[in-house]
Formats: sequence, structure tokens, C-alpha cells
Amino acid sequence: MTEHRSGPRRRGQGELEVQVLSALREADGPATAGWVQERLGADLAYTTVITILTRLLAKGVVTRERAGRSFAWTPSSDEAGLAAHRMRRVLDAESDREAVLASFVTSLGPDDERLLRELLGQARAEGED
Amino acid sequence: MGVFVFLPLVLPLTAWPVARLAEQHLHPRIATRLLTALSAAMALCSTLCLGLVMVVGTAQLPGNPLPDGWSDPEVRAAVPFDEVAGKVAIPALLAVLAACGRALWRHGRVRRRAHRALAGLPDTGVAVLPDGVPYAYALPGGRRDRVVVTTALLECLEPAERRALFAHERAHLAARHHRFLLAVQLASLANPLLRPLRTAVSYTAERWADEEAAQAVGSRRTVARAIGKAALVSRGAPSLTLAGFAAPGPVPRRVAALLAPAPVVRSWPSVFTEMGPAAWSAAAGTAVSAMSSANSAVTMLFILHAATPL
Repeated sequence: MTEHRSGPRRRGQGELEVQVLSALREADGPATAGWVQERLGADLAYTTVITILTRLLAKGVVTRERAGRSFAWTPSSDEAGLAAHRMRRVLDAESDREAVLASFVTSLGPDDERLLRELLGQARAEGED
Repeated sequence: MGVFVFLPLVLPLTAWPVARLAEQHLHPRIATRLLTALSAAMALCSTLCLGLVMVVGTAQLPGNPLPDGWSDPEVRAAVPFDEVAGKVAIPALLAVLAACGRALWRHGRVRRRAHRALAGLPDTGVAVLPDGVPYAYALPGGRRDRVVVTTALLECLEPAERRALFAHERAHLAARHHRFLLAVQLASLANPLLRPLRTAVSYTAERWADEEAAQAVGSRRTVARAIGKAALVSRGAPSLTLAGFAAPGPVPRRVAALLAPAPVVRSWPSVFTEMGPAAWSAAAGTAVSAMSSANSAVTMLFILHAATPL
């Protein structure tokens, strides 16, 4: 994480989401947006932290509860959960992603399922010989 | 140059038999390389000829920036049906360029976004994502090549089958299969008659990775089971094909191929099998395509050079 603090260069939203989530996960219990901002360094505006936290909330990666006049935030998932959510967004947005990413299996046609079960049954029977 | 200028546009038809037969009769590695090379060569020739015809078409348009000499009758006589062909070639070439540009841009965008989505994870070769939807794919490029797989898919596989899955995806990355797939995609956009070759290559590339995985885990049956189980858990909406006409899809064919004996590597198919004539006719088609587009290009250069007042 040290490379992210190397300078005031403009950071992508995705990168910020990861940083805010990591910071929250380092906290003992619920933390406020102010705490997260302090933790991440001074070059991040308070409103930016709130924006990022709200976006993480929409993704179901963090939860929040009222604590006085502000919110206390708790992580409900780890970095892998956030990555899984974002990957699904990428995949769902591409209608023909199979043109780009070689998927392990492609979708099955109408008769394929029956044929496949037959083949696998046959493989199992031969395997037991 | 006469009708020769149009030949490369239709010669991809000569590669259809080999596209169909190579899937079954050639080692998938050889089939992938052969079909990709045929596609790329034929697409280049066809686009070149489209470009030559377009020059004649553009020169006819009033207010074009080309030298006036290019619309002389001698130049137009070089292309048969120059009025129609020339004008049709302009939108056709623009459509080809736009489609290829768009495909390249989308290719880059998906890969960039996918890498960005994995930004917070440790920098390892395999990214396991906690997700209820089963999927797995090879993600090339970025800081390092990665295999992306979800927990839902891993949970339904036994340890040996997981090794087969990882070996399959690593084979995609190691052999740079995405380049073959991109090349045939661009070729099929450049000339729609090359589409069967694209379908064939996307199948043979998977078969190639399957064979590599079978060698890595030492069991063809394990790879077949891994593919079958993965396909059965990730079956979503059935693809939009009419049930009556549906030939077996790629997944059952891959499983069946793995349950059959391993394919043998031959340098060039024998003339005495049905594969021989198909391969030779595709090779001849490509050669004629290359020759007639080269011939057309040279002829056109000479004519335009002669017609250009310098």
C-alpha cells in the first residue's frame, strides 16, 4: 500500500475504493469518515471519502449505522469481495465478452446438456473399469 | 487488372471446407495456427482490394481531394463496373475500418477494466473471487497475466479437476491465445465470409488449451470431467439457436474429443484423406488471393502514377 501514498497524483475511483476499504478493515470496530480520511492522508477531501464510502455501501461491501450526527462505517466484505463485485460489473457490461476473454466454458445449447450428461456418465463408467 | 481485383473479396470461400474439417482432423494447435494465418492473409488481401476499388470510387466524387487525373477514363477502365463498385467500396471500407477500430478499442477496454477490478488483490497469478456465479477465464496483459476464477466454480470441482482448470487457463495465457482470437475477430469483421474461420478458431483454441491441460494433469478424463461439471453448473439461458437445427455445441464436442484418443501431430495432412484436398484448396485460395491483390495493387500503382501530373 505504500506505493499509493507516494505523491498527490490523481487516483482512479477504483483504487480509492480499495484504499478506503483497506483502511476500514484496519480499524477496531466501526469508524467514521473522518477517521478514514486521517488514516489515508491529507490529500483526500472529506467529501471524496464520503462519496467513496457511499459507493462501497451501494456495492454491499460496507455497512453503516448512525453514531450521533454522522455515520459509523463497518466493512462487511474484504478486498476480494469488492473485486468480485467489480468484476461482475465489468462482465455484465460486455455483451460479447467471450470475444475478449477466453471463458473456460461457453453456454450450452438446447440438446447439449443431455449430451454432456451422457458423455460424463460414459466417462465415469469407463473410469471404474 | 479486370475482375481479379474482386477475387480476394470472395476467395475466403475456399477456406470453408478446411475450417470445418480442421476442427476434427488436425491437432488443435496446428488447426489454430493454420486457420488464423489463412484468416489474416485473406482479410488483408480483401481489405487491400477494397481500398483499391475505393480509390477509383472516390476519384469520381466531385470535390474530392485526389488528383484530377485519377478520375480519367483510363484509370476507371482498370476496374470493371467502376461506377457501382467504386461507390459501394467507399462505405464498405469505412464500415470495415470502423468495425475493426471498435473491436480493438473494446478489447482494450474490457482488459483494462478487468485488471482494474482486481486492483486490491495480492499480485498473484490466480485471483479467486468470492462470487456465487461460477465462471473462470484467462486475463492477459496488465502487470501480469492472471487466471480469474470464482469460488462457486471451484467448489463444484474436485482437486484434480481444479488443477485441470488452472492448467487450461494457463495454457491460454502461455500460448497467447487472445492474439489468435483477436486476429480472427478482426479478419471476420474485414470480410464476413471469414466468419466460419473465426468460429473454428475459437473452438480449436479451447481444444488446444484442453490438450495442454490433459498433458499437465496426466489424465484426459479429468479434464473432460472438469469441463463437463463447469458447463453444467454455469448453464444459464440457452443460446439463441433453434432446437431442431442445433448441432452439438462446443462444450460436448470438447468433452467427447477428450474422451477419445489424443490427436496426433502431423506436419501436413495427407492428400488421400478428405482433409488433404480441403487444406490444399484453402492454401491455393490464399495464394490466388495474395497474388491477385498484389497484382491489382501493382497495376493500380502504375496506372495512378501514370495518371498523376507531376
